[in-house]
Amino acid sequence: MKTIRSLTTMLLFWVAITAFAKDSYPDFTVTGFGTLGASGTDTSQLSFRGTTKETPGVTDSWGFDSDSRLGLQLDAAINSSWHATVQWVARNTTGDFLEQNLEWAFLRWRPADNLDIRAGRLGFDTFMLSEYRNVGYAYLWMRPPHEFYGGLPIYHFDGADIAKKFTVGEGIMTIKAFGGHSFIQIPIPNSSVIADRSLSIAGGKLAYEVGNWNVRMSYSYLLNNLELAPLQPVLDGLNNAAVNTVWPSAQSLSQQISTKNKAFHYSSIGLAYDDGVWLTQLEASYIDTDLITYPSVANGYFSLGRRFGKLTLYSLFGISETLNNRVKFSNPLAPVPAVAALQNSIGRLSNLIGVDEKSISLGLRWDIHEHIALKTQWSHYWLGDNGTALWLAPASGPTPDMVNVWSVGMDFVF
Amino acid sequence: MAMPVAQADVAVIAHIKSNFSSLTAKQVQDIFMGRTRIFPNGKFALPIDQSSPLRAEFYEELTGRPVEQINAYWARIMFTGQASPPQRLPDDEAVLQTVRENEGAIGYIDKTRVDGTIRVLLLVQPWKP
Repeated sequence: MKTIRSLTTMLLFWVAITAFAKDSYPDFTVTGFGTLGASGTDTSQLSFRGTTKETPGVTDSWGFDSDSRLGLQLDAAINSSWHATVQWVARNTTGDFLEQNLEWAFLRWRPADNLDIRAGRLGFDTFMLSEYRNVGYAYLWMRPPHEFYGGLPIYHFDGADIAKKFTVGEGIMTIKAFGGHSFIQIPIPNSSVIADRSLSIAGGKLAYEVGNWNVRMSYSYLLNNLELAPLQPVLDGLNNAAVNTVWPSAQSLSQQISTKNKAFHYSSIGLAYDDGVWLTQLEASYIDTDLITYPSVANGYFSLGRRFGKLTLYSLFGISETLNNRVKFSNPLAPVPAVAALQNSIGRLSNLIGVDEKSISLGLRWDIHEHIALKTQWSHYWLGDNGTALWLAPASGPTPDMVNVWSVGMDFVF
Repeated sequence: MAMPVAQADVAVIAHIKSNFSSLTAKQVQDIFMGRTRIFPNGKFALPIDQSSPLRAEFYEELTGRPVEQINAYWARIMFTGQASPPQRLPDDEAVLQTVRENEGAIGYIDKTRVDGTIRVLLLVQPWKP
């Protein structure tokens, strides 16, 4: 974190002292993007949010937060093969507002026309839109499909990537590999607690672009380096010797529940078609985990749109289903109240956090200006039992199994 | 049925000494969309864009897509740190001047502004699917 900060400071300083150079190099550009969006739902019992990194979300009392943001990017072309980029986005986030919102800060070296090597802070390129979720102008919908992107709180990592392009047939194939470390801060529902997560990341993608078609597949491996702080009291309880005499399976349960040194495997495929009039896109992913508190989940979406001049009408179907989210464990040998309380909290931990969500959306994008688009979207969500992990639910009480979300927004680039 | 005569109003131009006489529409597209940074002869290409109304006409004829889609494409490429869009100059005169002075430059101008100081690589035809 400190390294990134001092790197950025140095970069900005260097930018300031060289800004008056007369050659075409270094060449500096400042660009930006933003979204002003408002959303509302038809329930007060659940809050809708764009991703699990956000609070408090919106309810039937509408709000601006979830989709609104403003990004600034500074590009410095140092010479024909070296380039530096810094991007910072003001948006709803959890944790350190400056550091968590620094999305990109890297140096790029291009030793050959088709080879890029970058180091610094980089976008997490694990799904089709995961690198540019903030740039609403660059995609069709009000926001990236909720079932697919809502559960991905990781926007960036600190490390390096290497990408090589090949001409294959009429199209261009890209092979990319990346690795590094991500520090993210996420909110714990129904508390003011902010959990720190530290992840080691390694992954790669294979993409092929030909004519109107774009296809990709990718895989990322993530290793969780820290214990999720709110779990610590439960784990301490399970590891307690007295508890284990009454409840022999407690200690092994603690190993099951612990999040430290557990891995996530993200696998995904994506396909997009755009002929200028019709556009369609679909992605499917499977996130395999060893974590009881973050069970494996399968996601997918399909979108179809048609352009009518400056208007684009679209529909979107999404699904996200947690697999094997029921944990079975043996009961304590004796009814000790403290152990029973522990057992209850484990039951809550292992069975509350799941996703069972499907939705259908209809929306309209209107390109009113070369750099401004207006959007509106209606989404209808079906939510199963214990399936609201992407939302914020109250600590107790029933939650609706169907929710409508309406949104209007304006996206722009400059 | 009488077909409308395809009318090319935009000329893609390069330095007078460039050692190739023409480019295909796809080659020009690849250069202006940042898919390649080199000419077919292996030399480094410096595409020059315009901020004039000719820009919309150029991209719509070259790619068959409205300029908003081109902008959305570049927003994705640019804000994911992959590449920067071509530098923009205000008008035909500025493009002509830059192309005359830079061997690697490639730009586009209104066809009527073509003169003997530059080489025409392509007359952009309205896009056909």
